[in-house]
Amino acid sequence: MTESFYAIFAMLVFPGGLFALALGLALKGLDRRLAARLQRRVGPPLAQPLYDLVKLAKKRTMVPNIASEPVFLGAPLIGAVSMALAAALVPIPGFYTPNPAFGDLLVVLYLLTVPAVALMVAGSASGSPFGAIGFSREMAMMLAYEGPLVLVVAAVALRTGLGQGGWVSFSLTEIVAYQRTHGAFLLDPVMWPALLAFLAFYPANLGIIPFDIPEAETEVLEGPLLEYSGPALGLFKVMSALKAVVVLGLGIALFFPYAPDGAAGLLVHLAKLVLLMLIGVSVVRVSCGRMRIDQAFRFFLKWPLAFSVLSLAVVALA
Amino acid sequence: MSLKQFISDQSRRMAARSPWIYRINAGSCNGCDVECATTALIPRYDVERLGCQYCGSPRHADIVLVTGPLTARVKDSVLRVFDEVPDPKVTVAVGVCPISGGIFRDGYAVLAPLSKYIPVDVNVPGCAPRPQAIIEGIAQAIEIWRQRL
Repeated sequence: MTESFYAIFAMLVFPGGLFALALGLALKGLDRRLAARLQRRVGPPLAQPLYDLVKLAKKRTMVPNIASEPVFLGAPLIGAVSMALAAALVPIPGFYTPNPAFGDLLVVLYLLTVPAVALMVAGSASGSPFGAIGFSREMAMMLAYEGPLVLVVAAVALRTGLGQGGWVSFSLTEIVAYQRTHGAFLLDPVMWPALLAFLAFYPANLGIIPFDIPEAETEVLEGPLLEYSGPALGLFKVMSALKAVVVLGLGIALFFPYAPDGAAGLLVHLAKLVLLMLIGVSVVRVSCGRMRIDQAFRFFLKWPLAFSVLSLAVVALA
Repeated sequence: MSLKQFISDQSRRMAARSPWIYRINAGSCNGCDVECATTALIPRYDVERLGCQYCGSPRHADIVLVTGPLTARVKDSVLRVFDEVPDPKVTVAVGVCPISGGIFRDGYAVLAPLSKYIPVDVNVPGCAPRPQAIIEGIAQAIEIWRQRL
């Protein structure tokens, strides 16, 4: 009884749900602020993503005549909920360990594909031609980056499993515990190819600028989001804020989970998230142009895939 | 003051800090569009400070900037796109053309003034208006929008 209570608490309040949402909005605000500073402007206030959400909640939701209404309104909900669940499954090293009975690394991997699927479904349900273009681009991107991600995770799991004298270990708790005793994978040369592949994966998954091709507002007018307005659009904003927390948190858990125990662990985790968001997202975002879909697809099938296959081979042989 | 009142006041104040902008070209000569897109709303004057954001879709918009004298050719499209903007919304007419037709006022295909077809809230006259004037117009539009929320 108490266990299921804790599980629900983890998904709704901490570290999933409300806490992850607040954290995600704060990270987005920091990102917009730093991007503005890098372009030598003042930039919006830190709470701007929150203001946007409140605004969207007060607007009217319009459903296009040709759209399929249940699917059109259900897709953002499913995307946002899946990310709230995933946020509860990602550990905060030294502070929070998810209960493996409710899912582990593999479940997180599956949940991470849900937002992309929700966007695709939303794009096609809206009946707009731009939504359809967004759908096909999102699908191509997903085919391109999912493969490397799975191989990277497999490499990490194999390294942990072999290090413990067993076979693969898909337990995030064990991966974190292994790195805290044997040193982070970030500093382990054997894992560097996997790290490089992961560094290419997360901008594509978060949809930031070199790879924001499905939602490119200057070419396909935000693609799948084109027809959305009001609270439904707000749910997509919630989804992307939560996704930032989940993906960056997963990166920390897989490669650099050093942290002291207790509340200090939470602070160190927050600091790492902020650092990753600022260096890994804002700086990349303002210093790149957008790739074309064929360029991005070829890039992913060339470099990240090669690095992830290489990392798996190196780990298996090492 | 009750808690409900407090929450609704606060949420209105927060929402008013996030006006998203959408531009409609109603047969403009492109002069005002250049002033809007490349002078007034670029990093130099940084309207993102006010929470403004350009959006590609009329469905995301709160403040609609209309340029041009509304030619017969684009009238139906303009009205259709304007209807796609969800309420509450504010309309800003940029340039002298939507007010009177400007130098095109005698044209056989010019339907100006715009206010015969669309409720216009703020007029920013000029041919073309200065970027500061456009930003001033947006600031006034935000004030009006705050009351409509």
